[in-house]
Amino acid sequence: MNKTALQILRFVVLVLFQVLVINHIRLGGYVHPCIYLIFIMLLPVYIPNWQLLLLGFGLGFSVDLFTGTPGLHAGATTLMAFCRPSIIRLISGTQKFENIHEPNLDQLDGMWFLRYTICMVFVHHFALFFLESFSFHLIGQILLRILISVPISVFLIMMILYIFKANKKGERR
Amino acid sequence: MYNLWRFILKHHFVILFILLEVISILLLARSQNFHRNRVVNTTNDAVGQVYEWSSEVGNYFRLNKTNQDLAEENAWLRQQLAMTTDTTRSFFDIEGRDTIYEYIPAQVVNNSIGQANNYIIINKGRADGIERDMGVISSDGIVGVVADVSRHYASILSLLHSHSVVGVRFKNNQELGSLKWGNNNYRYGIVEDIPAHVVLQEGDTVLTSSYSFIFPEDLMVGTVEESRPISSGALNTAKIRFATDFATLRYVYVIHNLHKPELDSLKANFQ
Repeated sequence: MNKTALQILRFVVLVLFQVLVINHIRLGGYVHPCIYLIFIMLLPVYIPNWQLLLLGFGLGFSVDLFTGTPGLHAGATTLMAFCRPSIIRLISGTQKFENIHEPNLDQLDGMWFLRYTICMVFVHHFALFFLESFSFHLIGQILLRILISVPISVFLIMMILYIFKANKKGERR
Repeated sequence: MYNLWRFILKHHFVILFILLEVISILLLARSQNFHRNRVVNTTNDAVGQVYEWSSEVGNYFRLNKTNQDLAEENAWLRQQLAMTTDTTRSFFDIEGRDTIYEYIPAQVVNNSIGQANNYIIINKGRADGIERDMGVISSDGIVGVVADVSRHYASILSLLHSHSVVGVRFKNNQELGSLKWGNNNYRYGIVEDIPAHVVLQEGDTVLTSSYSFIFPEDLMVGTVEESRPISSGALNTAKIRFATDFATLRYVYVIHNLHKPELDSLKANFQ
């Protein structure tokens, strides 16, 4: 399948899956798992920076349209997109990406990917929960929500990535 | 000029980042400060349609529970009806007070409880006579207030919203208070501004007060879970359990107050 078409399909499927399925997971109301960030995580490593930021903003804004919170997810995903090049540099060390087009589980080992996911999800959730409360006076509660939501998001994202890795022989998403 | 251009090109990553973050925060701030947190452009019909498709699928799995709830509500209504026809002087003043309210049934197509500010989307809109600031109730208790309306859908500011405030009354002693969410759990809310002399028991019923033009008087809100005396002030707070279960909300009624234009014009006079 065409690379651009694949990205568009991934974008639409992930946003819909997030707002129609994942947003209904509510363990006591504290948890807000996010899987739509997979889209930003799987963008090509050497994508131009401005495209990365605009796609991040667009992704967050699409989710915002559904949740009725303009600017909330957009702000969080923009920050995440901004941090992505630094995160990749930080966790890769000497590892080179010369022949790797997209960061995916076929070409990179699971531990690398787990570290990558944890960093990205943490940045996203941190921004999301602070923007949501719009203040620092509920700091204890915000930290609690981050502490609960980050592991659940990381688990869901890794699970989805492994499922689609296993199905790679068939049609890829 | 050339230098400026070169500067922008060199730092375009940071500049674009800051620009997009500023846009996000402005959008967010605007939606928070707007009158009754009006959701800008989000209750559009396309989003509502997607939620409705998804909700249609889910509805089949809940038919059993829904039937049961409707049957219970039916039984309760029949009981009320019996009370009004059996006695010569009716319990509800059918001709007077209650007829100023019209109830529009609607179905919830999307609902959140996990955010700091939660909204509910229903499948009735301007075309069905829904307007902003109308009250919304379920068969168990009050739910929220209409925040924004599109042609076929409406978004409701749920009680589970940091800006939600509802005037309430304790059934036992007629004392008034104001209900807020308190931003923690979807089952509980906080009633503030209770005079210190008021003694509350666990399980006391909390109803809507007559001062609200949005909700009719005496609608179920919840029950007292625990009373928290504050040593410093003269006003207490109490934690209450909502009568409405927001996690399983499916069918709601939007309340149309037929006298609202009249009340609004009165209020406009002294503002």
